[in-house]
Amino acid sequence: MNVLVIEDEKGLADELEIFLNNYNYICEVCFNGASASEKIAVNLYDFILIDLGLPDYDGLDLLREAKKNNPEAICIILTARAEVYDRIKGLDLGADDYLPKPFSLLELQSRMQAITRRKFGLKQNLVDLGGFVINLTDRVISYGTSEISTITRKEFDLIAYMLLHKNRTLTRSQLSEHIWGSIVNDDYDSNYIDAHIKNIRKKLNAFAPPDWLETVRGLGYKIKVNT
Amino acid sequence: MKLRTKLTLFNTLSKLVIATIFVLLLPTLIKNINQHYNDSRLLKQKVKLLQIIKTQGIKDYAEASYYTPLKEDYVSIDLDTTAENLDTIKNEKRILQGDTIEYRILSHTFKADNKKYLLEIATSLDAINGTTRPFQNIAFALLVGMILLTIIADQLYSNFVLTPLGQIIKTKLIGHKFPNFGSYEKVQTSTSDFEYLDISIHKMIKTIENTFQKEREFISNASHELMTPISILQSKIENMFEQEDIADELKTRLLEMQRILNRLKSITKTLLLISQIENEQFLKEDSVPLRELLQEIYDEISIRLQGKNIHYSVDVPENLVLIHVNKFLMFNMVFNLINNAIKYNRENGEIKVAAMRESDCWTVKIIDTGIGIAAEDLPFIFNRFKKLRASLKQDSFGLGLPIVQSIAAFHEIRVEVQSEKDHGSVFKLILPDSLIKI
Repeated sequence: MNVLVIEDEKGLADELEIFLNNYNYICEVCFNGASASEKIAVNLYDFILIDLGLPDYDGLDLLREAKKNNPEAICIILTARAEVYDRIKGLDLGADDYLPKPFSLLELQSRMQAITRRKFGLKQNLVDLGGFVINLTDRVISYGTSEISTITRKEFDLIAYMLLHKNRTLTRSQLSEHIWGSIVNDDYDSNYIDAHIKNIRKKLNAFAPPDWLETVRGLGYKIKVNT
Repeated sequence: MKLRTKLTLFNTLSKLVIATIFVLLLPTLIKNINQHYNDSRLLKQKVKLLQIIKTQGIKDYAEASYYTPLKEDYVSIDLDTTAENLDTIKNEKRILQGDTIEYRILSHTFKADNKKYLLEIATSLDAINGTTRPFQNIAFALLVGMILLTIIADQLYSNFVLTPLGQIIKTKLIGHKFPNFGSYEKVQTSTSDFEYLDISIHKMIKTIENTFQKEREFISNASHELMTPISILQSKIENMFEQEDIADELKTRLLEMQRILNRLKSITKTLLLISQIENEQFLKEDSVPLRELLQEIYDEISIRLQGKNIHYSVDVPENLVLIHVNKFLMFNMVFNLINNAIKYNRENGEIKVAAMRESDCWTVKIIDTGIGIAAEDLPFIFNRFKKLRASLKQDSFGLGLPIVQSIAAFHEIRVEVQSEKDHGSVFKLILPDSLIKI
């Protein structure tokens, strides 16, 4: 998949490129609006990530151009200007998602996957993990023929997020940010992720030991999938 | 009370008081005038009579009295045998042909032909007072007419003169939602005070607007400037964390960095949110059943309740719907209150959320069995970055209640706190009826 990253902060653009390359995306980076505008006019992309605050260009104008020349592309707005107004305007112009800075790279990737799934209507998204079948479309987890209904929405969110970033250690901060990121409160160091994982393990253990859900000592958790 | 009403009331009342005093005084006044006039007439008559007696001699007039057929006045000259000399005017009764009549009588003793005579010139009081009543009536009618005229004139003029003030209040003050003011329109007036007021208000609005504009710009810029470096750092740490050649010991330190960065991020995000709310950058167009909102919060927070084994109960009418609210903000407000109730609760404690109609308002109470707040700390709990001693051991930076307060103020919700140290707190949200549908 081809991704165009339009981001004037070189430091961030570089990290985006490294990260996306790791996930096997083919990445091109523009540091200003003018060169991005040229690239949009010439090449076709699957994803266009636009920073709204460009020095030489109004990010929304760029979005308009992108929608014209690359109508199939999935556009995600990255911005530090978190005003509601921009949010509405951006989505009205056809942006597929909106990610306020600072965001986690993992979050970006999870959004990109979610939109792909939505856009191309991938059929039943089933993953088998040691006998547990995780249905990402219907958001249920089952063992054999029985659906495990005790798993809560939050718990499923955690499993799905770890599954999306399988074989990668996710820290408590990253997991917290994913499931509680939109809540603004004044806790900065809560360890409720541990409690959630404990609950998940307990619920799954009633069927079979979920060995694939690993604790990485001192760092975090990961779902291990043998490929 | 409006200025115009006050002026009208004062005008009317003051005139009524003056009129009443005048009406009360009128009879005495007219009586006095009449009497005075009459007395001077009697004196003139006396002088005239004495003149006549002097020239014509007393003989023809002595021992005689003269009166008109209706007995309204009389003149009498009698021999006076008493020793004293009289020269008075007073009211006295006299019997004339069987009728007792009250007269105003001038009595005067004089000597003629070596004899002492008493002269009496009198006018009946009825005759004097006969003119009083019509006088009084005319004066009264005139007075009422004049008062009515002046009240109407006052009213019309004060209406006219106060119109610009009304306009200033209507167009400049009422209906202007702080800090969004419209454009300036000059109010037409020839009263320099109002002109000055209008211009002053306009200047103040401009200053406030400029300040707000600057603050908005500052927040927007500051957020951009802060968020971008945080974003870069976060991405760098995330990418480094994934590199395979990094030792676990280093990863632990990266994790530490990530946590500190998260703290910075949280503070920045929270401050931004508060400023955005205060700058009214949120819409209030959502409707959400309170029960549903509480359920969503419960889903997020149940893990924390579990951690302390807290008994949580909700007592909210099913059909209670919050309208004209921002759901995201309402969620965060109630979330923070319940989160606090958990944070400062004891093991096996209790939290109750109850909505009820209380003296004409809907209230939502969050009641906990936590450590409570000391009375001397209560006034400061909504201050930003204020951490009370009791909360120092918690991982928070003292912005939870400031969030609650700014969201509440944005929705015109009042927050009241009752707390007893070591027993628990009650946070009461008092919702205006405009936010409720039931």
